[in-house]
Amino acid sequence: MQNAKDSFYIALRTRLVAINPNRTILLRGTVRPGILVEDAEAPVSQLPNDVFVVRWLGLGVDEDLASAMAAEECEIVYQTCGTQSFGGLDRGRALSEMDEELMAIVQPFFTPKLNFSAQPPAAMLTQVFWDVPAFGPISRSAKVLVYSYQEQGE
Amino acid sequence: MSASSFPSPAPVVRRIRAYFAPVNRAAQAPVVFDPSQLWNLNLDSPPAPWMNLGWVQSFARKPIGKSASLLTGIPAATFEQVRESLGAQLSFQFLSWTKLTMALATGSQHMNVLAPASGAFAAADGGQAAPPATVQSGSTSTFVALASADAAKFAPGAIIAIDADYAGSMGYVGSPISGAYLRAPVADVDYIRRITFNVALVSQSSSTGLTLAEPLPGGAPAPGLKLQKVIGLVDREGGSFYQEWSGLFILQGSQGERIFFYYPRLQTVAGAEEIDAPLARNKSTLNRILLSAQFQALPVTDPLDGERVVCYRSFVPAPGALV
Repeated sequence: MQNAKDSFYIALRTRLVAINPNRTILLRGTVRPGILVEDAEAPVSQLPNDVFVVRWLGLGVDEDLASAMAAEECEIVYQTCGTQSFGGLDRGRALSEMDEELMAIVQPFFTPKLNFSAQPPAAMLTQVFWDVPAFGPISRSAKVLVYSYQEQGE
Repeated sequence: MSASSFPSPAPVVRRIRAYFAPVNRAAQAPVVFDPSQLWNLNLDSPPAPWMNLGWVQSFARKPIGKSASLLTGIPAATFEQVRESLGAQLSFQFLSWTKLTMALATGSQHMNVLAPASGAFAAADGGQAAPPATVQSGSTSTFVALASADAAKFAPGAIIAIDADYAGSMGYVGSPISGAYLRAPVADVDYIRRITFNVALVSQSSSTGLTLAEPLPGGAPAPGLKLQKVIGLVDREGGSFYQEWSGLFILQGSQGERIFFYYPRLQTVAGAEEIDAPLARNKSTLNRILLSAQFQALPVTDPLDGERVVCYRSFVPAPGALV
């Protein structure tokens, strides 16, 4: 299941870099694409603005199939205060921009599953796939169910 | 099971995509879909003559062929089965309104409403049309060469229909897509442009001709064909003409597998019908109007073994999936 979560995150991160390389975050002294996995970073009391935070919630497993299928609920949280140059009056536009970026990075709704415990990451046999996101109220959260088949050795 | 394979799960799909290609009505020749050559076709850009009609929903296949038992002995028991009738029906809803989706979702011929001539009498499918312009040499499927005076009559955003003048022919008319069947000659010289599928949107107009926003279904128009401006589209409840197309429906699975449903001959079986689909589940007062399409599958004879069939279902497994 970790491979599916890693693959999902890396797919979104790669797509975000392609469509908006300017959305970045300075994290642990390194400038990185503006998307992070909440449970892979230090705990914080307040989420950062202008970046996508991937949060893993529930888990369901269908064991009745030839390959067990895992459904992992993912919430992607984001918020913005707008820009300083407009005194924050553009926060609605900035949030719409993030909405559009999120819709763009979740498509196509699948990505090859990779094993990131190897270097370089090793391609696995199946693909990770997910449903269309369901958007919540401002500050935004978008919930996605991410599916994957369990492979040998996982 | 080795590490290079995995058990094949039931395909998980989000939606289904529809493609249609015109049956040559005069020759009764459907368009062949060969899964050995087209199994990995580009879903956004299918090879001609297949036309992409986008996503469809509520796709339902219904076999209506019947088998009967041949009984022998006392007490009688089934000795073998025989196929008494062969048939299948298909229904779905289009998620777009275009010339082609409207035509496929109506049980009769589908027509273009041509821009009227000055002082034309009123007619339910459009009055006498304004005089046509003549296509010049040098046209392509996305560019129509015209004399500069003719090109000036068509602004960007106009819809045009291109085809020949009607010259008294009977039987199936319209090429390469038959749009009607005439039992007797009609008096309207613009008749073929009324029923033609050779329509497109003008994106640019210049002194040399018109650039189109989409390729013409009939390909590059020959010099001498005529074009007229189209105001809209019209179809009728009734009439004797049935649309007939080859249909291809593709489901792309989550692991890259593909299911193909290929119907060599599909005839529209019901009149025009629309479905209201609320935009939001609960309190929305807005409805999306979907075109509802129903088809009867007609048989073809498979040259492989002479069997009569109405549909082919092909499956291309996911890479690495056990078969």
